[in-house]
Amino acid sequence: MSVPESAIVDPSRFSPLRLSGSQPFTQQPGVYILIGERTNVAGSPRFANFIKQGKYEEAVSVARQQIENGANVLDVCMDEGMIDGVTAMTRFLQLLASEPEVAKVPVMVDSSKWEVIEAGLKCLQGKGIVNSISLKEGEEQFRHHAATILKYGAATVVMAFDEQGQAANYEDKIRVCERAYRILVDQVGFPPEDIIFDPNILTVATGMEEHNNYAVDYINATRWIKANLPFAKVSGGVSNISFSFRGNNIVREAIHSAFLYHAIAAGMDMGIVNAGMLEVYEEIEPELKVLVEDVLLNRRSDATERLVDYGETLKGAGKAATEKKTEEWRNGTVEERLAHALVKGIDTYIEADTEEARVKLGRPLSVIEGPLMAGMGIVGDLFGAGKMFLPQVVKSARVMKKAVAHLTPYMEAEKEARAAAGESVKAQGKIVLATVKGDVHDIGKNIVGVVLACNNYEVIDMGVMVPCEKILERAKAVNADLIGLSGLITPSLDEMVHVARELERQGFKLPLLIGGATTSRTHTAVKIAPHYSEPVVHIVDASRAVPVTTSLLSGNGKSAFVAQHRADYEALRRAHSAPKLSVVSLAEARKRRTPIQWRVEDLPQPTFTGVRALHNFPLVTLRDFIDWTPFFHAWGLKGVYPRILEHQEQGAQARQIFKEGNALLDIIVEKNLLVARGVYGLFPANAMGDDVELYTGDKRDKILERFHFLRQQSNKEGSEPCRSLADFIAPRETGLADHIGGFAVTSGIGLKELCESYRARHDDYNAIMAEALADRLAEAFAECLHKCVRNEWGYGSAENLSSVDLIQEKYRGIRPAAGYPACPDHTEKGILWRLLDVEANTGIQITESFAMWPGSSVSGLYFAHPESRYFSLGKIDRDQVADYSNRKGMSIGEVERWLGQNLNYDPAA
Amino acid sequence: MKKAHQHPLEKILDNRIAIIDGAMGTTIRTYGMKELDIRGLRFKDAPKSLLNDGDLFSLTKAEMIGDIHRRFLEAGADIIETNTFGATSIAQSEFFVEDPREHGGRKDPEFYQKIIDDTFLSELTWDINEQSAQLCREWADRVANATSRARFVAGAIGPLTVSLSNSPDADDPGFRVVSFDQVRTAYALQVRALIAGGVDVLLVETVFDSLNAKAALVAIREVFERDGKELPIMISAAVGRGGETMISGQTTEAFWNAVRHVKPLSVGLNCSLGPEPMYPFLEELSQKADVAISCYPNAGLPNPLSETGFDLQPQDMARYLGDFARGGLINIAGGCCGNTPEHIAAIAKALEGAAPRRFGNRLNEVSFARQGEIESRV
Repeated sequence: MSVPESAIVDPSRFSPLRLSGSQPFTQQPGVYILIGERTNVAGSPRFANFIKQGKYEEAVSVARQQIENGANVLDVCMDEGMIDGVTAMTRFLQLLASEPEVAKVPVMVDSSKWEVIEAGLKCLQGKGIVNSISLKEGEEQFRHHAATILKYGAATVVMAFDEQGQAANYEDKIRVCERAYRILVDQVGFPPEDIIFDPNILTVATGMEEHNNYAVDYINATRWIKANLPFAKVSGGVSNISFSFRGNNIVREAIHSAFLYHAIAAGMDMGIVNAGMLEVYEEIEPELKVLVEDVLLNRRSDATERLVDYGETLKGAGKAATEKKTEEWRNGTVEERLAHALVKGIDTYIEADTEEARVKLGRPLSVIEGPLMAGMGIVGDLFGAGKMFLPQVVKSARVMKKAVAHLTPYMEAEKEARAAAGESVKAQGKIVLATVKGDVHDIGKNIVGVVLACNNYEVIDMGVMVPCEKILERAKAVNADLIGLSGLITPSLDEMVHVARELERQGFKLPLLIGGATTSRTHTAVKIAPHYSEPVVHIVDASRAVPVTTSLLSGNGKSAFVAQHRADYEALRRAHSAPKLSVVSLAEARKRRTPIQWRVEDLPQPTFTGVRALHNFPLVTLRDFIDWTPFFHAWGLKGVYPRILEHQEQGAQARQIFKEGNALLDIIVEKNLLVARGVYGLFPANAMGDDVELYTGDKRDKILERFHFLRQQSNKEGSEPCRSLADFIAPRETGLADHIGGFAVTSGIGLKELCESYRARHDDYNAIMAEALADRLAEAFAECLHKCVRNEWGYGSAENLSSVDLIQEKYRGIRPAAGYPACPDHTEKGILWRLLDVEANTGIQITESFAMWPGSSVSGLYFAHPESRYFSLGKIDRDQVADYSNRKGMSIGEVERWLGQNLNYDPAA
Repeated sequence: MKKAHQHPLEKILDNRIAIIDGAMGTTIRTYGMKELDIRGLRFKDAPKSLLNDGDLFSLTKAEMIGDIHRRFLEAGADIIETNTFGATSIAQSEFFVEDPREHGGRKDPEFYQKIIDDTFLSELTWDINEQSAQLCREWADRVANATSRARFVAGAIGPLTVSLSNSPDADDPGFRVVSFDQVRTAYALQVRALIAGGVDVLLVETVFDSLNAKAALVAIREVFERDGKELPIMISAAVGRGGETMISGQTTEAFWNAVRHVKPLSVGLNCSLGPEPMYPFLEELSQKADVAISCYPNAGLPNPLSETGFDLQPQDMARYLGDFARGGLINIAGGCCGNTPEHIAAIAKALEGAAPRRFGNRLNEVSFARQGEIESRV
């Protein structure tokens, strides 16, 4: 639909129409709202027939097509002599509510009968539109209808009708609309933006002269309404306009388009029109366009005759039926198509696709346990991730039901054949479901029941508040294959334990499923499963019920599933009962901090503070700082350099790669194939609790950044302190001027290109070698830079250490890195990056997971105090996680995610 | 445009974040009541176990319910909820009427019509609502007088045990166990009794099916019209991981569009999967809705292996709601399942002095305030 430029909207006069189905719909300024009209029995004989014959499923598919064709709102009308409007409207809208793709959009409840409108409003969870009300039966009735619509929360179409009848000309249209508007806004309190006027689109070119100005009258009335009735909208039934050209679709389409072009320019917001009956305005044949506009705009008295004559010449030409475009997803493999159909809830092709899969896979059961189950697995994943909602899961199950129904006769035939051959065959699985005694919640359980029934299981739903003995009695009576228990409140958990015990005592041999909001996998494993010898499986949500049930009831898959299940639950029990390490409280741990006597002479003053960047650091210098031992580890040779070169078995190989590594390093250094860049900084700092504050200057009055450290909490013997890196910086209260440093270095710039060039030549060996060398150079850079920094800090110059001493870290001070044992929280890197502007200064980026890129990079913090040392944090408890989360302003869940390895508890338990 | 008569609660919302109380159901369970306690004399012969029909305690152990109200008020709640979450004939029928499914039957509109017409259930639900409201009123006034601070009673209107949007029949997605009119009738009785008992506001909460909620809102409007008295309405939804009403699958903004016509005092989120997953949806609601925003989540997810039965401790809830307040998202804060008076006290403390979200005609002031704040930070 082309929108004329003149349709630009003055935003101060625009208050969009806001509607909703399960999704919101907000009118956009200047954008025409498409109302799907094929679900209207008056306009679509096909739809009317479906309804009359009770073929609601087909009727629903008409609605779906409308949405697929881009309808923003769905017009639903059941006004037909042979149809019971209230029943049909209710049933159809309730079915639409179960069709997630359709339920997304708002509904226009369309009827001339008030009781049908009210019945429709009772089915809408969202905000729809009523079509329509008018002053036809007087003001009182009008007010009553409007107030009722407002009570249900819908917008409404108001027809330009009054006690005298239909407003046909301009003056009547605006008079009636203004009167209706004032009543709605002033007396009923109806929101003006929810009023949609339909100033009657009446048929032109009828041969009657008084009809010639109908299009102009509508367009002018529209313009007047938009200018004079603030925020009101304008709509109309478009196909009326061209009624006299019935049977001549080319002319009709041209009339519709030209009419809409002018009406939208005048402010028309929406209209009811068959989207398939619209020509693009610019593409109307020019001669036809002139003739059509002559009629619509009433430009000459013989306009009608001229258009009729012209129309005769076109008759029969008819447009070639436009080819139905095939949907993209139909091009996938049959497995992909089945998965798509299940995820999207499309049943159009499900039978054909199921049949194709059956032929391809040989056995009907293979289709269910293969592609269909895989599709439901995707549904489960999407639901778990919040990307699908319950109604969609249910709809997927209903599509599944169709596929299973198609396969059932084949499975029956297979069974009969096997029975005839003397094999024993199993009947369809029977499942008894119940909400346990004391609990009345069953909507979730009902959904599980539907999903299971859709998979061809016979579901016996016993309802809510069901005592244990009745469940067992029924399971026995029907010879059930499975029992499913549900509960939403905590007391139900004990009742479930009771049921499990009773099953055991009475010697039942069927699996037990557990579900409901308060249940959990761990609780099921720890508290329920131990009481019953058969599998007791927790179902996390309805989408997971089918895979579990299928596995438990499958002939060949069951034993593997049960074995895995038992192993998983045993692991859960072990994890739950594992003696937790004895930890001390955070308060106690803080009392046991590293004992340091703070003295001025232990705090050397650096020669500079601030940030320094090193671009293109000479690789030849770094070469002397390389620690070669990890280089051999990278190649799978375990030993210490240089002894490994003389090793009895590995020596020869070690010498070989050492030689080749050095040869490649020669080339890298000579041709500068890698670039080493780094940044470092020293800052005035003091410890505040377990945080270290960095200051902008020596006055220490403004905080630049803050690093957050964790403290050991394991209960150690003797006088071993509970260490934290914060212990190595003088606390603020000492009044001493301490400092902290930070750095980030890389030798990985150019590495990617270098490796790629080797790989392009199929020389993977040198590509890996280059990576191993780049890693060594980065570590060497860190070592080398640390040495420089110790000098600049004023305490390193007297060191005089050999490179071996350096490797053995025989110097004063440490450079721990975020993500390593002393401070395992990777996210602290973010602070370092900000502090040193690492990315701008060196090109090293941090990824979402706080990994450094390129990989051959090293970063960390500098601590200078003689007592500072490396340690491993070990396990921490909830109190410290909460405290840390507070200090960092990070949620507990997030802290637990980043520190999963260090938690002394199971956050999921 | 400011209304001529501002409700006193609205005045509070202008100045600070109001505190709503915590969980009734899970708090009741900490009193260790037994079947005998809930039955009292009135229900001594009831056929089914009643222990989990917590609303009945308002009739049989009013002193315990009063004690819970008192504790929440003393913890700092401005608004306390009546113990009426399941006090409709439909929800009560689950405890008093035999489930036809036990004998292979089914629940359908015919079954529920009998429930709606049942005089025992009607009288019962009237009594629960009226007496719960009176009890709540009494404690709110008592503590209000003692502390010279206004306290408000919210009539709690729960989501029912049935859904108007979902079909439990695998063969017929168009089937519904209950009709809109039946639900509306059941709610209307509850609403009238709550008003008779003296509530200050009506709270349609834990909305997992928007159509159920709409039936409640229609019932409220009809009671207002019939009795000629109007009270402010609060609305709160329970949402899943995608911000959707948990059963009917309606997203946050769509939900707001569907209920904004009642011009509620507040709209918000409660219950759900705890506070953490709520943030983006609270943010969305806060942007779209021009009324106060409420938030009273569960104390995390139910965790049968933790001491309180839920994941989050008082300081956790305080931190989350503190985050929401700092984000400028809320006007009313509290807790749902798993939140004890200690949780509410921690939340109240954390929000003391916190700026409430600005909304409606006060929006402009805010943008200036925010701008100033940013400048001063730079």
